[in-house]
Amino acid sequence: MSFSTLLLLIFAFSLCSFFFSSSSAFKKIKSATSRPSALPKHYGQYSLAWTLFPAFLLLIVFTIIGPIYVDNFFKQQIALTEASYDKAKIELVLAMIKNISNGSISSDEPKILKLAEEYSNYLSKIYLFRTLSVLLLSSILGIIISSNINILKNSRVKVETFYRILFFVSAVIAIFTTVGIIASLLYESLRFFALYPFFDFLFGLHWAPNIAIRSDQVAAQGSFGMLPVLIGTILVALIAMIVALPIGLFSAIYLAEFASKRVRDIIKPTLEVLAGIPTVVYGYFAALTAAPFIRKIGMTLGLDVSSESALAAGAVMGIMIIPFISSLSDDIINSVPQSLRDGSLGLGATKAETTIKVVLPAAFPGLVGAFLLAVSRAIGETMIVVMAAGLSANLTINPLETVTTVTVQIVSLLTGDTEFDDIKTLSAFGLGLALFAFTLILNVIALVVSRRLSEQYD
Amino acid sequence: MVDKINNLKFKTKNVSVFYGSKQAINKISLDIEEKQITALIGPSGCGKSTFLRCLNRMNDVISNCSVNGKILLDGNNIYSDEIDPVLLRAKVGMVFQKPNPFPKSIFENIAYGPRIHGIGNNRAELTDLVHHSLEQAGLIDEVKDRLDDIATGLSGGQQQRICIARAIAVNPDVILMDEPCSALDPIATAKIEELMSSLSKSYTIIIVTHSMQQAGRVSQKTAFFHMGDLIEYGETPKIFTQPDQQKTQDYITGRFG
Ligand SMILES: Nc1ncnc2c1ncn2[C@@H]1O[C@H](COP(=O)(O)OP(=O)(O)OP(=O)(O)O)[C@@H](O)[C@H]1O
Ligand SMILES: [Mg+2]
Repeated sequence: MSFSTLLLLIFAFSLCSFFFSSSSAFKKIKSATSRPSALPKHYGQYSLAWTLFPAFLLLIVFTIIGPIYVDNFFKQQIALTEASYDKAKIELVLAMIKNISNGSISSDEPKILKLAEEYSNYLSKIYLFRTLSVLLLSSILGIIISSNINILKNSRVKVETFYRILFFVSAVIAIFTTVGIIASLLYESLRFFALYPFFDFLFGLHWAPNIAIRSDQVAAQGSFGMLPVLIGTILVALIAMIVALPIGLFSAIYLAEFASKRVRDIIKPTLEVLAGIPTVVYGYFAALTAAPFIRKIGMTLGLDVSSESALAAGAVMGIMIIPFISSLSDDIINSVPQSLRDGSLGLGATKAETTIKVVLPAAFPGLVGAFLLAVSRAIGETMIVVMAAGLSANLTINPLETVTTVTVQIVSLLTGDTEFDDIKTLSAFGLGLALFAFTLILNVIALVVSRRLSEQYD
Repeated sequence: MVDKINNLKFKTKNVSVFYGSKQAINKISLDIEEKQITALIGPSGCGKSTFLRCLNRMNDVISNCSVNGKILLDGNNIYSDEIDPVLLRAKVGMVFQKPNPFPKSIFENIAYGPRIHGIGNNRAELTDLVHHSLEQAGLIDEVKDRLDDIATGLSGGQQQRICIARAIAVNPDVILMDEPCSALDPIATAKIEELMSSLSKSYTIIIVTHSMQQAGRVSQKTAFFHMGDLIEYGETPKIFTQPDQQKTQDYITGRFG
């Protein structure tokens, strides 16, 4: 039985056990003389949890461990029969066996065919075992628990424990996946720094990863100084924020403090729709409309504007971020208590004075947070820059020239036929790490600043 | 026997207030005397706050609220087009039910109003004004060494007195207080009542309160509201000892409310 069918089945089992238990608890409570220690639904939830979670865990374990176990078993088999094979060769044969067994390729080597057949038999045995054990566990636990409802035992407390474990496990998963991603990033970056000096990367002024894609091509050693790329990123993000921050913030102030309810009810959802436009669309706009427009204006002013410019990408990115900032700031400004506004208005302050002197200072910590979220978005944005700012890494702070950003470089380094232990590929991880460190620093600053400020304003 | 004649500060004529289509108060006509404390009492939801907020046009802030009738302050209709509600509110200050000091320093809280109205142009004048207001609010001894501390860190009673000092600092004629003691303990309440009595020498005070004792202790005149109507208005001792209306009698003896 497939994973999803099994999942559905144990869900169904748990629902049954929920209804069965709660109705049996209901009956028992009705006829009981002493006061029950929990409500029927708690008994239901209690037996639902026992029917669902252990079986679910077992299912997960089987699904993850099962194939690994089978693979290892077959690696041993192959190694036993073909003593001359090295590790890589064994992996290759195993991959072939797997592909044959799921029908995506065929082979006419009888030995391999036989192994493939054994493989699929073995795997289906494991899966059958999985099906049986999961269903058995779920149904046995369900039946035992729901036929032994004791209304004198407080199942509310136990249900509470289940909830706590559930939330705890979710939190742990969230943390571990993040840690895992960072660890892999670090690992690959370390491999890069083994090939390329760390300080040359960090402070190098020249970014040209022109190393051959295939190892038999002859090409010069690439140069991986990340400063031009980092400065390009900061430049584009800075332009974006210069565009987005005032407009976004002011429109949020208008929405929260001045707009009538009717206007607000129209504009606010519109902004949220705007925030959902895919970035590729903005990319088109940047490349096809904004960049030529800026170039034209530049030419009439006698300026030399390249056809792909940091200004075009940054400005369009700013436009993209406006609804984001506006919507977030509007929520934050709205959460400032009305009593503060009343206090200020009651002293004879105008609306604008109240907004500037009371509401905005009180909202400031939150606004800083929103602002830094927006900066992180600008730094992580790739599509618009690919389409409108170009790929060449110029070390410049002139917004009219073409620049590139970290994310764009990572994409261009990793797309296409690349070898995974190539210095060029590995440099992408170096860039990724640098970007991560940069946004981390920004976020820490944001946290410190907003904590300081909210201490001051609480 | 003739009572001493006081000047009228407010004169309201047939004031009705609607929230959308729902009427909150109905044709209230009430004269409020200068440099006296007038108490508004009545069961919850009867429109005391609504009426109070008419007197400095704080109801303008509520989008669906409309006010009919005439309210004269020193003989001028405050709802006429020539009146700027912002200036009116400088003249008619307000203290709210829940203390709402700004999340700024004590000094900045008091200096806020004067700064906005251009009173006290240099730092020395402003400092004087802040000290004077705090003194009038009976708070100076408690906070004079911590004027730079944040006002929201004070106790509830102190916060409320900050709000009173803040209102005094713009030198208003009238101070409206909407249940200023409902969030405070008896000792803080006593302090504020004392303060009100001393302030009534120089300001006209209108207070909404749920406490009969408080109305009895501090006010010279009392108005009893019920379901949006003004039932009875008169000298406080009379309202509390021999009211003309049965409803008033019932309310003050606690038979409903
Ligand atoms: N912003 C508002 N929108 C709609 N209706 C309101 C609004 N404010 C008050 N009301 C209604 O107007 C009526 C009078 O309210 P008001 O706040 O003046 O009563 P109150 O006498 O101050 O009561 P309390 O003693 O509980 O403060 C109530 O029925 C209330 O529901
Ligand atoms: Mg009220």
